[in-house]
Amino acid sequence: METRFCLIQNHPLFLKEGKSLLKWNGWGYKDSKFSINKDQHVEFTGERYRLSGSTMPLLREWMKKTVGISLEHKSPSQSCTQDLNLVLENHDDVVKAVELAVKYNVVIIPFGGGTTVTSSLECPAFEKRMIVSLDTSQMNHILWVDEKNLTVRAECGIIGQDLERRLEERGYCTGHEPDSMEFSSLGGWVATRASGMKKNIYGNIEDLLVHVRFVTPRGVMEKSCQVPRMSSGPDIHHIILGSEGTMGVVTEVTLKIRPLPPCKKYGSIVFPSFENGVSCLREVAAQRCAPASIRLMDNEQFQFGAALKPESKSMLTNFMDGLKKFYITKLKGFDPNKLAVATLLFEGTKEEVAALEKRVYEIAAKFGGLPGGADNGERGYMLTFVIAYLRDLGFEYYIVAESFETSVPWDRCLDLCQNVKERLRRECKERRIQFPPYITCRVTQTYDAGACVYFYFGFNYRGISDPVHVYEEIESCARDEILANGGSISHHHGVGKIRKQWLKKTVGELGVGTMKALKAYIDPQNIFANNNLMMGNHSKL
Amino acid sequence: MKSNADDPKLVSARHKDVFEDILEERRTSSDLRFAARARDVPRFRLNKERPPHKIKEDVLKSDRVQYAIEQVCQDTGLPKAEVINQAKTIVDEMAHNLRTGAIRVFAFFLMKVLKQLYQRIYVNEEGIEKVRMLIQDYPILLMPTHRSYMDFLLMSYVFYHYDLPLPVIAAAMDFMGMKFFGWLLRNSGAFYIRRSFGEDTLYWAVFTEYVQTQICNGDSPIEFYVEGTRSRTSKSYAPKFGMLSAALEPYFKAHIPDIMVIPVSISYDRILEESLYAYELLGVPKPKESTSGLIKARKVLEEDFGNVHIFFGEPISIRQFSEGRVDRSKHSLAPRYIVSLTQEEQEMIRVFGHHVVLVHQHNMVISVWSMVAAILVQSQQGVTVRQMLREVEWMKRLASNLGAYIDWPVNESAETMLRASLALHHNIISINNDDVIQLQVAPPIVRGNAVQQHVAVMQTAAQHVMLSMYRNQIIHVFIRPAMIALSINSCRGEELSLDDLYQKYVFLENLLCRDFVFVPDNTRKDFEHTLSTLAHIGALVLEAGAIAVKKSINKTISFLSHMLEPFLIGYWVMCQFLLSSRLQVSAKPLARTQKTLVKEMQALSARLLQEGVIHHYEVLSMDMANNCLHALYHMGGVSKEKRDGVLYMYPNVAQLSTITEQIGKYIDVPPLPAVSIDLHTKTITVNAKL
Repeated sequence: METRFCLIQNHPLFLKEGKSLLKWNGWGYKDSKFSINKDQHVEFTGERYRLSGSTMPLLREWMKKTVGISLEHKSPSQSCTQDLNLVLENHDDVVKAVELAVKYNVVIIPFGGGTTVTSSLECPAFEKRMIVSLDTSQMNHILWVDEKNLTVRAECGIIGQDLERRLEERGYCTGHEPDSMEFSSLGGWVATRASGMKKNIYGNIEDLLVHVRFVTPRGVMEKSCQVPRMSSGPDIHHIILGSEGTMGVVTEVTLKIRPLPPCKKYGSIVFPSFENGVSCLREVAAQRCAPASIRLMDNEQFQFGAALKPESKSMLTNFMDGLKKFYITKLKGFDPNKLAVATLLFEGTKEEVAALEKRVYEIAAKFGGLPGGADNGERGYMLTFVIAYLRDLGFEYYIVAESFETSVPWDRCLDLCQNVKERLRRECKERRIQFPPYITCRVTQTYDAGACVYFYFGFNYRGISDPVHVYEEIESCARDEILANGGSISHHHGVGKIRKQWLKKTVGELGVGTMKALKAYIDPQNIFANNNLMMGNHSKL
Repeated sequence: MKSNADDPKLVSARHKDVFEDILEERRTSSDLRFAARARDVPRFRLNKERPPHKIKEDVLKSDRVQYAIEQVCQDTGLPKAEVINQAKTIVDEMAHNLRTGAIRVFAFFLMKVLKQLYQRIYVNEEGIEKVRMLIQDYPILLMPTHRSYMDFLLMSYVFYHYDLPLPVIAAAMDFMGMKFFGWLLRNSGAFYIRRSFGEDTLYWAVFTEYVQTQICNGDSPIEFYVEGTRSRTSKSYAPKFGMLSAALEPYFKAHIPDIMVIPVSISYDRILEESLYAYELLGVPKPKESTSGLIKARKVLEEDFGNVHIFFGEPISIRQFSEGRVDRSKHSLAPRYIVSLTQEEQEMIRVFGHHVVLVHQHNMVISVWSMVAAILVQSQQGVTVRQMLREVEWMKRLASNLGAYIDWPVNESAETMLRASLALHHNIISINNDDVIQLQVAPPIVRGNAVQQHVAVMQTAAQHVMLSMYRNQIIHVFIRPAMIALSINSCRGEELSLDDLYQKYVFLENLLCRDFVFVPDNTRKDFEHTLSTLAHIGALVLEAGAIAVKKSINKTISFLSHMLEPFLIGYWVMCQFLLSSRLQVSAKPLARTQKTLVKEMQALSARLLQEGVIHHYEVLSMDMANNCLHALYHMGGVSKEKRDGVLYMYPNVAQLSTITEQIGKYIDVPPLPAVSIDLHTKTITVNAKL
C-alpha cells in the first residue's frame, strides 16, 4: 500500500450527498438494516423498503433452525481498508485523465457504483505503480432524451434508480432493473454485461445498448452513428460490453427507452415441487409468453420468504393466511417442505396483462401450479433487495454468506440445481462445518435455450478459524460443479478476479489469446491494470 | 459338525477379528419370523419412489431410448410401432420385479439352504454400517468378487439380514430359463442381460437407460460383477468395462453429483462348484442351469462347505477417484443421450476397473487350506503332516508380510487349523498311514484303450486342477514377488542389475497379463514397490545397486519362483506346439481357430504328461491355454485373421521363436521327444530340435 497515493486528497466531492448515505462496511443505506430489538426479535430499520419499520417474528426461529444462529454468539467486528479516488466531472475530464495516466504511467481503476461481487475493484497487490481509482459518481447527468427514437443519453456514473426516476418524470423507463439498481451505475452495467430482472420485455444491457463512448489509452472508441443494427464486421460494442475495466472507461451511453407501462401487477404460483416449477418455466419460455419477470424459488427460499413475513396487526390477515395455508397443504396435498413458489411481475396495458396472466396461469395449472396471490409475489421481489442487508446481520452472528449465479441449458437445469446443492453440502461436511449450511437457489431468468440460476450459500462458521477462505474454497468447488453440469462461468456477475481461473476453460486458449491481443493493442502500457478477466495468470488458484 | 454353540471344532467363534457370523442367531430363532419381520430400510435422499413397472415405463419414455428407436427406424426402414414393440420386448426380458413378498419367500428358502451349506457366514459389520450411512446420500454400486453362484445369493441375504434395501443384480441370461428360480430371482431383484449384444443399438440403449435411471434415482443399490463372469479358477479375472461404463456414465454426464462404489470380497473356504469348474476348465462342457439340475444338486446340501467371509471394502467415491482424470464439462456441447464417453473417461474406467480388482484381492480372506494347496502343488509326491505344519507357518509369515489377511485366529494352534482344513477338503486330499498328505487320484490305467486312458488322465487332472484352484486363492499375494523371484532364480550370473531385472519383470508381466491382473501403465511402480518389499523382508540382497544373485537364492525366492512354473511350462508347450504346426503346409503357418488350437494343444499336453515329460496337470486347463494365446497375440507371437466371419490364428514364427527362447531362460524346459499325436485323424509332429 505504501506505493499508492491519491492525486487529489480529501476531494470534497467524494463526500457529496449520495455516497454519504451508504454504509462503508456493508451493503446499502446506513439507515436500513436488520437488527435485534429488545424483545429479541428481528426488525428492519429505516423507511426505504416495504419491510422497513416492521418486525419479523418468524425470522429468528428460522435463523436458528436453518443455520444455527444463536443470539448469544455475536462475532467480533471486522475492519476494512478504504481506497483513494480521483473524481471526474465529464467525458473530457476522463479523456484528459487517461492521457495523463499514459504520460506518467499511472494505473487507472474505473469505479462506478462499487457493487461488484467479483473483487473486480480490488487493487492488485503486486502493482508497483501509482494506482488511481477513477470515480465516476459525479458524472451522473442525463444528457438528452430522444422521444422520436426512444433513446436516452446519459453519463456513465448515473445510478440505476436515479436514471429510472428521472425518466419516470417524463413518462419513460429503460426497464433495466438489476437487483443492484439502487446502487449500480450505467457505466458499470455496460462494463460487466449486466442483466435486469425485466429483461423479458426490455432485454439485457446488450439489447438495450444503442451507443457507447469508451475512453482508452489509445483514444476514444465509439461508433459514428446511432442505428438499431448494422453489419460492419465484429461489433465493437461487444468488445466494450463485459470488458470489466481492463481496457478503458465507459463515459457516455445511449440506451433504448420505453413509455411507462400503465399496468404493473405482481403474482405468484405455488408448485408441489421445484421440478414441476422448472417444467412450467420451461414451457412458458418455449411458448415465449414470459411476463416481465418470472422467478422460481426453491423450497428453502420459500421458507425463508415466509420467515420474512412482518408481524401482522390485523386478525383478518392472519385468518386469511391460515386459510390459504390450509387450502394448499391440506386440500391440495402440497408438502410444505417440498413446494416451490414462482413469483411473477406483469407489465403492459391492462388488457395485455390480463391476457398474459390467464395464459401463464393456464400453463402453470398443467404442471400442478396454483395461483398464490400478488402479495406473495411482491414479497418475493422485495426479498432480493433486502437479502444483502440480512447478510450483514448474519456477519454479526458468525454467518458467512454470498450469492453466485450461472446460466444453463434447460435440459441440465434441474440436475445442475440438485448437484450444486449436493456438492456444497458435501464440501461443508468434508470441511467439518458443524452447522447445516444454508443453500438455496432460484431460477431467475428464462430464455429460449436455457435459464439463469441464482444460488445463495451461507454457513455458520463458529469453530472455523478461517471462514472467508473456507467459503472461497467451497464456492470454487461449486463453480467446478456448475461447469461440469454444463453451466457457465457467470450469467451477469462477470469474471472479475474471483472467476479468472475458469475463463480459459470457458472460452478456450484462443479466446483468451484474442482478448489479450485486443488488450495489448488498446492498452499497450497496461494502464487499466485492475487484473480482471483475461489479464495475468489464469492457472487455478 | 454343525452345532449352534461356539464349538472349538468349528475353529473359530461367532465374533472373529472384524467379522461377525450372521448365521448363528438364525439357528436358534424362528425362520418364519425372520422372513416376516418388519424391515425399516434406509433410502437415498433424492430418491423418488417408483415401482418396477414405472421404471420400465420411464426407460421406454427416456430421451435415449426414443432417440435409439428413431435411429433404428431410419437404419432399418421398419415402422416405428414395430421398433417400439421391440424395445418393449427387450425391457420386459430385462427388468427385475423386486417385491417385498418375493423377498420374504426368497429369504426364507435361502436361509435354510445357507444354514445347511455353511458353518458360518462372516461379515465385517463396520463395512455394513458404512453402506447404511452412504445409502442415504449416494447412489450405490456394489461390486463383489465372483467365484460362485452363491455370491449374489449371499449378497442379497446379507442385505436382508442387516435391513438394507435389497440390491438389484445384473445377471446373465442363463438363469432366466429356470422355471421357479428364474421367477423368484427376478422378483428378488435380478435383471437379465444378454452376454453379448455388440452393435445392437436398441438393446444397448435400453440396457444403458435401464441401469442409469436406477442409479440416478437411487431406487436400489446396483450390484454387478466387474469381472464379468464367475471365475472358474478362483483367480481374479481381468475387469470388463461394458457394465462399468454404463454405470459410471451418469456421473460423467453430471446427472448425479457422485456415485459410491463398494468393492466386496467374498472368500469361500470351499467352493460349491469346485468339481464342476475343474471339468469345465478341462473342457467337459458345463451342464445348462436348470431347475431340475438344481434339485439334483440337493446332494450337495449334505456336504459341508465351511465358512464364508464377506468383506465390504472401503467405499470409493467416483468423484474423488476421477478428480484430475476427467473433465465432465466436455459433455456440455451435445445432448447427453447422444454423446459418448471421452477418451479420458474410458481410460479412467479402465484404471478404475483394475483398481477395484486389486482392492478385491487385498480384502480377500486367505484360508489355511489355500496355503496347503500352494505347498502341495509344488510337492506332488506328498508332504507329511509335520512338514506341512512347518511349511504352513512359514508361508503364513511370508503372506502376512506381503499384506495378506490370513484366517487364523490367534488362539488357534497350527495343528487345529491344518486338521480342520484337511477335513473340509477330504474329497481332494487324503492322509495315508505314514501321515503323508497326498492328492487323491485314481491309479493310472496302464492297459486300457485310448479313450479309457484319456478319461483317466482327465480325472486325475481334475483333482490337480481343483488343488491349483485353491492355490489360486492365495496366488495374487505372491504374483509380483514371484516374478522378481523367478527372474533372480533363473539368473546364471553373479549379479543382476536392476535394469536387467526390470526387463525380465516386464517380459513376465506381458506374458502373464491374462492370467493375472496388472494395473495398466503401472509396471514400474509395481516393480519398485515389490522389490523394496522383498528387500525389506530380507528375501533378496541388494549390493551396489544390483541383486547379489547367490546371496539371494533362499527358500523364499525358490518357493516363489516355483509358484510360476506350471504357468511357464504351459506357455512353453503352447509355443512349441504353435511352432511345430508350421511344418504342416510347406513352411507356411497353418491358421486355425482358437478353439481348435486349444484343443490340440491340450491333447499334446496330455500326451506329454502321460509320457512323464512334464508333470503339471494344470497345463491341461483350457483357461491357461486361452490366456496364453491372448498374451502371445498381444506380444506379436500369433496373429489373427478373419475369414468368412470366422477368426483364425496363426503363429508369427520369428517373434514366437524369440518368445519361446525367452521363456526357456526362466525355467528348465524338458527335452521334447519327437511325439506324434493322433487327433481327429490329423497328425501333429513336434520336432525335438525346435
